[in-house]
Amino acid sequence: MDWREFDQNPVSHSAAHHLTAIQQLLEDQGYARVSDVARKLGITRGSVSVSLKGLRQRGLVVEDQHKHLGLSDEGQRIARGIHTKRVLFQAFLEKSLGLPADLAEMDACKIEHLVSDLTAEALAIYIDRREDASDSSSDREQQVNALEDSIREGRVEAFPGKEIETISERLQSSSEEQSKDKDDE
Amino acid sequence: MSEYSREVALSRLNELLAEELEASIRYLHLGTLVQGIDRLVIQKVLQENHEETVEHAQQVSEKILQVGGTPQPKINLELTGEKCTGIEALQTALLFEQAALDAYKEFLEVVEGSGDVVLEEFARQQVALESEHVSELRMLLGENTVGSE
Repeated sequence: MDWREFDQNPVSHSAAHHLTAIQQLLEDQGYARVSDVARKLGITRGSVSVSLKGLRQRGLVVEDQHKHLGLSDEGQRIARGIHTKRVLFQAFLEKSLGLPADLAEMDACKIEHLVSDLTAEALAIYIDRREDASDSSSDREQQVNALEDSIREGRVEAFPGKEIETISERLQSSSEEQSKDKDDE
Repeated sequence: MSEYSREVALSRLNELLAEELEASIRYLHLGTLVQGIDRLVIQKVLQENHEETVEHAQQVSEKILQVGGTPQPKINLELTGEKCTGIEALQTALLFEQAALDAYKEFLEVVEGSGDVVLEEFARQQVALESEHVSELRMLLGENTVGSE
């Protein structure tokens, strides 16, 4: 293993945050401008503009004539993948290792853009099995077995696959419900 | 017009201060990275712009103090160490100058008609100055420019 390869990661930490911020803004308010991304990330517009230059050149971010930002298909895929990995790692650190939510969120954020798709899929299956050991419906069992086979063979078709996103969405809504219950208390 | 309050004005002024301070550091940094036959000319332009952004930062700090606040810019600068040509340096400068112009325009929308004539006048003046900066950079890059857009 060459640790220097990590520096060659296709998506830097900063790029990961810019892509997921645009994705979230588009989902929440239907549009994303440089000013919206800057406020969401707590940085200046200048920094966002300079960072987006590289992402535009790589064809991940697009901008229309009204300066509204969007993600290309590849940009969307990367943003969804990073978001899914963050949710999975946060759930694992919080639920399986018992770490406090804040720390789990922070450490998941450090890992999300570096970890491989294969590891993320394996983690999703681990969490899913642990979470819902009682559910042994044949459909679900087949899905999990198919995913496990692909992991053993060291391949992931397209991350995040539909099954993995379903697991991630379930974990996220369960986590949101828990923090809502805590707030109500 | 966006809703005006002293807190909103202070928050926006601190954002503007961060834009100016980051821009001043970016200009300095770009000056060290630029390579090529036009290096000396471009470095001079970058140095002049650096000095102007420092002046702007001082002016914004003054305004923050006048409104009764404290300058508290949130700086989070990520600088690459990649060498660049003069054109690339100016293209990068145009990105953060345009961002600063947009930020001042938004600030003008906040203070316009608020009754704070001093801040309104300041915002107008800065929009004009930043528009000139952007136009100047566009001209250096050979891009068409019509006013401040």
